[in-house]
Formats: sequence, structure tokens, C-alpha cells
Amino acid sequence: MQRFLDPSVLGAISGLDLVAKTVVDGFVAGLHRSPDFGFSQEFAEYRAYTPGDDLRHVDWNVFARTERAYLKRYRGETNSLLTILLDASNSMNYSSHAVSKMDYARFTAASLFYLAIQNQRDAAGLIVFDDEVRNYIRPSTRQGQLHRLLSGLELAEPRARTDFGKPLHHFQEFLRRRGLVLILSDFYESPEKILRTVEPLRFHGNEVVLFHILDPEEIRPRLDEPAILVDLETRERIEVTPEYARDEYGKKIDAHIEALRDGARSRGMDYFLLVTDQPLDAALREYLSIRQGRD
Amino acid sequence: MGFLAPWFLAGAVAVGVPLYLHLLRRHTTNPQQFSSLMFFEQRTQSSVRHRRLRYLLLLSLRLALLVLLALAFAGPYINEPAASTPGGKLLLLAIDESFSMRAGTRLSDAKREALSVLAGRSVGERGQILAFGSEVDARTQPVDDAGTLRAAIESIQPGDSLGSFGELAHAVRSISDNIRAPIELHVFSDMQKAGMPASFSELALPADVTLILHPVVKDTAPNWTVESVNTPGQVFDPKKARVQAVVAGYGTPAAMRTVSLVVNGKTVASRTVEVPASGRASVEFQSLDVPYGFSRCAVKIDSADSFPADDTYLFASGRFDPERVLLVHESTDTRSAVYFSDALSAAAESAFNVESLTVERAAGVPLSPYAFVVLSDVASLPSSFENDLLRYVRSGGGVLIAAGTSTARRGRVPVFGENILQPRYYSSDPARFMAVADSDSSYPPAGKIEQWDGVRFYYAASVDPSNSRVVARLTDQTPLLLDKKIGEGRALLFASGLDNVTNDFPLHPAFVPFAEQTARYLSGTERRGGSRMVDSFLELRTAKEQAVSVEVVDPAGRRPLSLKEATSAQSYKLTQAGFYELHLANGRQDLIGVNPDRRESDLAVIPPDVLALWKGGRSPGSQEATAPAQPGARPLMKPRSLSWYAMLLVLAAAVAESVLASRYLGMQRQEE
Repeated sequence: MQRFLDPSVLGAISGLDLVAKTVVDGFVAGLHRSPDFGFSQEFAEYRAYTPGDDLRHVDWNVFARTERAYLKRYRGETNSLLTILLDASNSMNYSSHAVSKMDYARFTAASLFYLAIQNQRDAAGLIVFDDEVRNYIRPSTRQGQLHRLLSGLELAEPRARTDFGKPLHHFQEFLRRRGLVLILSDFYESPEKILRTVEPLRFHGNEVVLFHILDPEEIRPRLDEPAILVDLETRERIEVTPEYARDEYGKKIDAHIEALRDGARSRGMDYFLLVTDQPLDAALREYLSIRQGRD
Repeated sequence: MGFLAPWFLAGAVAVGVPLYLHLLRRHTTNPQQFSSLMFFEQRTQSSVRHRRLRYLLLLSLRLALLVLLALAFAGPYINEPAASTPGGKLLLLAIDESFSMRAGTRLSDAKREALSVLAGRSVGERGQILAFGSEVDARTQPVDDAGTLRAAIESIQPGDSLGSFGELAHAVRSISDNIRAPIELHVFSDMQKAGMPASFSELALPADVTLILHPVVKDTAPNWTVESVNTPGQVFDPKKARVQAVVAGYGTPAAMRTVSLVVNGKTVASRTVEVPASGRASVEFQSLDVPYGFSRCAVKIDSADSFPADDTYLFASGRFDPERVLLVHESTDTRSAVYFSDALSAAAESAFNVESLTVERAAGVPLSPYAFVVLSDVASLPSSFENDLLRYVRSGGGVLIAAGTSTARRGRVPVFGENILQPRYYSSDPARFMAVADSDSSYPPAGKIEQWDGVRFYYAASVDPSNSRVVARLTDQTPLLLDKKIGEGRALLFASGLDNVTNDFPLHPAFVPFAEQTARYLSGTERRGGSRMVDSFLELRTAKEQAVSVEVVDPAGRRPLSLKEATSAQSYKLTQAGFYELHLANGRQDLIGVNPDRRESDLAVIPPDVLALWKGGRSPGSQEATAPAQPGARPLMKPRSLSWYAMLLVLAAAVAESVLASRYLGMQRQEE
């Protein structure tokens, strides 16, 4: 089963829908209840009427028998709202093996969408951004939503630079309903700026999870000789020695990851590091664990 | 240490190529893309460090490979003392096997003396046996086996060639260059003066050759010989054939000698002639009555001297019916046949019978019975006749084409294959006529230029001479006589007529020898029969492209040509005296008598002072010879080539480079 979650295996599958299906069907799809009560047909409990409650929800049959006003409450199954923020900047195009970071992010997002819509009956939406919002698909459970999301993922080709600050207010605008917000990015920005930008999302009652997607070469680059590196976003060139890449760079990227993880947790957000040569089930498991925690 | 070809060392500059590949080219590596340089800092290494040479071992191997390759081509060598033979020298015994060694007991004396010198050889000393005449024949390699050397001496038989001390000296110089060891050269010869080269410097011997002469005769012996015989190779009328012989005496008193003419072993005539002291006398036999076919003839004298081998002069003579000649002419031309046949009958002793035919009657006439064909100014030929004639020429026949005004109308010379560029009528010129300006006297039909004096040409057809040999030209440089080889045969083009209209050549005396020589040349009779000298070459075929087999039977009855030589050899060297039978490529048979060079009959010996000069100076005229030998001189050095070792090192370096390079290449692929 693990084989079907391997990114290099998934890279050979052409369609994202098939990728998502392959991943999720191979994953344990647990049935669960929605954490919040809604207004569907499955009865949950009665609650005494308090002024201000919507009179449409008063059970008039009970009132006729008891002359007490009770509101009838139902157990909702699709109240959870999943929104994925996908970083489509040029740096996501980097790859040291068969699967680029962007591909990996697409696979992850597609799998999560599939899991949420097909298995969890959650509403799911997508925001693709780089230094501005490039695409927004409103969260919905409507027929065909999964295909719209997957199509949005397909069209999300990396370009331009990452800038969390600029599209922030758009996020605020789009994410007014409470739900689960997953951010897939390589987070090449100072941790403080990232967290400061993302933190307001939390204020709306959203669960925010940072999926930090990195290539193994980005964590431990291997250089056998001095080389000239070119920044994929800025096209800046820099001459780098193997010694620096081995020692200094390693410390810096580790510190960056640590700062991001600590900062996220201190602000009530979750952080998860995804390395592109690791199977995709880690992301799905994280998603479900967060959903469980909210039940 | 030195180099045989030091300019090849310039190839070592190619070491710049691997240096470029390893140093400069490595520097131009392609930049690598990376997602973000956020955590990188500029760390420029010093240029020296950055441009460090990668794969030093591989680079070293490549440099070594190139340098060694250049070194190997440059031919390195070191001088080392020449490999000394046991005893310090090579004993070289040269025995004269020329024709004059047949006189008396000269050869057996020489061989006996050589054996005695061989018997006195030091133990382990290497020896080599040479036999020399006009060429030098190494009978053994340098060996120390006494039995081999003795057998080689005893196997030497007298030859028929002219002795040449120049050839001997040349061969000894070659041997000395090869073995690089001192040589003790013993020459056993009659020291005939005729064997001396034209230039004394040709006798030069290297400084490390010690010459010891062993003359087998002391004084000049008197000798009579038949020096030459002049006779026709073919006889058509025995009563008209003459045999002229010259008898010569060398160191002889005046004496009466009897000269005999022998045909097929039977003496048919004898004459007595008085030969003056050390002089010559000629004798003539008025007829040569030989049977039909070739006969083996000889002229003999009763010399009563010590050298009877040169008392006989061999020659072959064949008796044949007069050969037929076909002359084809236009019906309007009745004079050319008369002029040509009269000229032939006047000159060639009834050797040729001319049959004339008009063009119209020529078709269908078989050509093989004719010795050659004459086309006298024909305007057109029946195509079948022209094809037959072309086949006839290609298979060895001859044709004389006279291109008069009628041929000019046709535009193309039949059989000859060339176009007539321009007919030239000199009668309308101010000069009125042209004369012969130039003729090739080495070409028999052309003859000497004086022969053409007074001949006036009023017309000539200008023919492209690029594919032919021009043997005579008119004063305006128009080719008059052109010769062309067609297959095995020949075509001779006379660019005017034979009819006394376009020129007055038929009325001149020069026309007779012209007709005779042309007839002999085209019929091939000039090459048949007669006699030749030993060591002369015999032409076997005239065209390379014809792979027709020829056959040679030597005097001993052997066939010396291999199958390959029989189909490809152009000539054959006559090495023995006697009669050779030939079956030539053109289908004709021939017999020739071969005689030794008569200079061998002069048994005069080389003066002692000349021999002393040769022995003492060794290499007269050369710097090397005049330098006195110094006992404590630097030993002979012999260059020893190191190219072989350099090539081995090249091979080793190439193998190591391949292994190492493939390893690094594998690493690079993994990195990619």
C-alpha cells in the first residue's frame, strides 16, 4: 500500500483525480461525525428556547403538548470547511528528483480534496497565490466541486515570487467562515513575517495548518565542487562552496524550520514538514487527526 | 640520446588540449538552479583554488600519453657500443663468378684459396660468403658454422655476367651498415680490369673494413675471341644473307685464325683471317643457308688459348617466306601501291610482298596472313573491314595509315581514332611547301633528320597528337609521323600521302629506308632472332593491359617465369649464355642467342698500383678513408632505438587513461 503513496510513483500518473483517488483509497478512510451541529435531518437533541433564537427551529409539536418552547437540533455531517492555500511561486518548481515541490503540493492538495469531499462530505475550496491571489475557488459541496478544485490545481503553474504580505487581506476576505485552513508552501520568507501574515486567519476561528514542503536537497544540499547557484524566483546568482553548503546552510535551514514550527505552535497553529521524497500519507494523517481533534 | 625525427617532438604541444579540458573548460560549468538563495551567502573562492585542476591523475596520464606519443614518433635512440662479434670482426669472403673466371682454373683456384682462408679462421669467428659478377649474391648469412661456409664456397659455379668490383664495394658498404662490426673482406678474383667501375670512388669501403685481395692470376693472358657478329635475324633469300664477324685479340701476337660458321651444330663455312697483334679482323660469309624456321647458329674461331669459352658467338636466324603486306587504296589512286612496293622490294631483300586492293574489294579479306596493313589515303572503309582491322591491330598487328586529301574529307583517321583538326594545303601559302623540321632519330622509321633533306610537303593533315608519340614534324610544327599503341599492336600515321601528289617523298631516296624500316617495325621482324648480351633485358609485351601469357625457356630448358610473371612481366633479364626460346604475347615465337659481354674476354688485370691504392686507401676520395685508424679510438657506437619502449609506455598510459576516465565518467553521470 505504501507504494501507492510514494510521490515518485504518483508522478507517473497523469491525472490529479486519479492521483487523489489512488492516495485516498489506499489510505484508511475513517467515518466520523461532524464536530459542529447543523441543520440536516438526523435528530440530535432539544434545547430550551431563549430569546433571539430563530422561531423556525421551534418544535411546535412539543410546544402544543407541553406549552414549552424547545428548539429541535440535528446532527450535521458537512459543516466542516476545508480551504487550501497553495503557494505557486517559482521556488516551488525546484526538484532534485522525479517529483518537484509543486507536484508534491498538487498531489497533497488533490488527495486532501478527495478525502474531504468524497469521504468526509466537507466543503472544500482553493486559493492559489504567489505574490498575489491567482485563483480562488469558493468552498462548496456542490456537484462537480472536486473537479473544479482539481482543475484549479492543474492550472496552478509556478511563476513569480512568494509574498505572503500582499495577498493577505484577500485571504481575510475569503475566509470568513470557520473551518480548516491548510497552507502548502516552501515558506521562503522570514518565519516572523509568515506567522504574522497567517495569524489573522486564526482569529476567525479557523484551524490553520502550515504544510512546509521542501525537497531533500533543500534540507541537505550536496555540492562536490564550487558552483554557481541561480535563484529560481529572483534569478540572482551566487557562488557557493561545498563547505558552506554542508555546514552553514544546514544550520540555517534547520533554524528556519525550527523557528517556523515553534512560532506556529505558539500561535495555536499546526506545522508540518513534508519532504518530497516521503509518502503522502503523512499529510492525510495530519489532516484527519486535526479533524478528530475538532470532533 | 638522440632522435631520428626530432621535428615530431613539436607534437608535444598537444598537451595543451588536456590542460584546457581539465582547467579552463571545467571553469565554464553551467550554473545550477536552486529554489531560493535565502540561506546562502556569497563565498567566492580564490581563483587559483577555484580553477584547480580536477582529476590530477587523469590529467597526468593524458599529458604523459601525448608526450610519449610525440617521443615515440620522434624516434629516440641511444648510442651503445656495437655488438661485438666473437673474434671482434666478420670474415667476409667474396668470390668472383664472372665469365672470365671460366678461363683456365681461375674459379677452382679462387675457391681453393677461399677454403684455405676459411680454414685459418679463429674459433667462433663468424663468416659470410659472397659471390659476385654483375650482381652480388650472398650465399650465406653471417654464421660461424664451418660446414655451411665450406659448402657455400664449393657450390659457386662460373657465371656468364660481367664482373663488377663497384657492385661488390656497394654490397660490402650495405653489410657494414647493417652489422656495425669490423669486417675482414677477402676478395678472390682474377682482378680483371674490365670489372673496374667508371669512377674509382665507387670502390670506397667503410673504415672498419679491412680489404685483403687474393688475385688468382698474376699476368695478363692472351686471348682471341669473336667479338661481334652482324647477321639478319630473319633470312628470306639465303643467297642475299650475309654474316659478318669481328675477331679480336687481347694481348695476342699477330696470328692466322680460322673462323667457322656453324648452323644447328654443323659447320657450313670456314674462313681464315689474319688477326693483327692485339687487334681486330673482320670476316664475312657470303650466304647463310639455314632451313625454314629458326636455327641455332654460331661463329667459332680456333683460338687455342686458355679461355675457350669466348671462342663461340651465338646467334639465332630464322628463314621465312617473304611476308605479305596488304595495301588498301582508293580506286583512283594507282600510284601509291607502286611506289611503296617498289621501295620495299628494293630495300628489304624480298622480305615483303605487297598486295594492293581497292577499298571496295577489301571487305571480307582475312587479315591474319599479313605482316602489316597499309591504308593509303582512303576516304572511307567498309565498317566490317575497319572493325576487322582494329581487332587485327589490337591482337598485335601493325598498320601504316597515310592521311592524304581523301582521308581529310572523312574528318577522322580510321583505326588511329583521332580527328583531323585541319587539312593544310601549303601550295597556297607563300612558302609553297613545308619541309621536315624535326625527327626522332631513335625511332627506326623516322631515321635521321638528314634523311628528309629536300623532301617537299604540299599538304599535311593536322591531327591531335595528345594521345600519340610524334616522331617527325614539319617546319610549321604540324605532326608528320605519329605512333600509337593500340592493344598489342601499333598504328603509324603518316599525315600526308604516298602518291607523289601531296608531297614528293616517294621520289626521294629517303623513301626506301623509310618504307623498309616501317615494314620491319610494323611487322616486328626487327625484334626477332639475332643475338643479345647477358644481363640485357628482353621486352616481353608492349601493353600492360593485355594479360596474355608469355613463355621463356632458358638455355637449360627451364621455364624461369612463374605463372604470375608470365601474365604480368614486362621484361625479362637474360642471365645465362645460350639460346632462349620465347613465346611472346602477340603469339609469335622467337629464338635468340645470348652471349657474355665481350669485355670479359679482355683478360688484362688491374695494375698493382691501383690495387694497392684500393687496399691502402679503402675509400679513396672520402674523408673517412683518409683518416688514419687509431688504436685507442672510440669504439664503434650503434644506435639502439627506444621507439618500441616508448610505444609500450604509450599503450600502458592509454589503457590506464581509459580505465580512469571511464571511472570518472561514471561518477559524473551519477552526479548528474
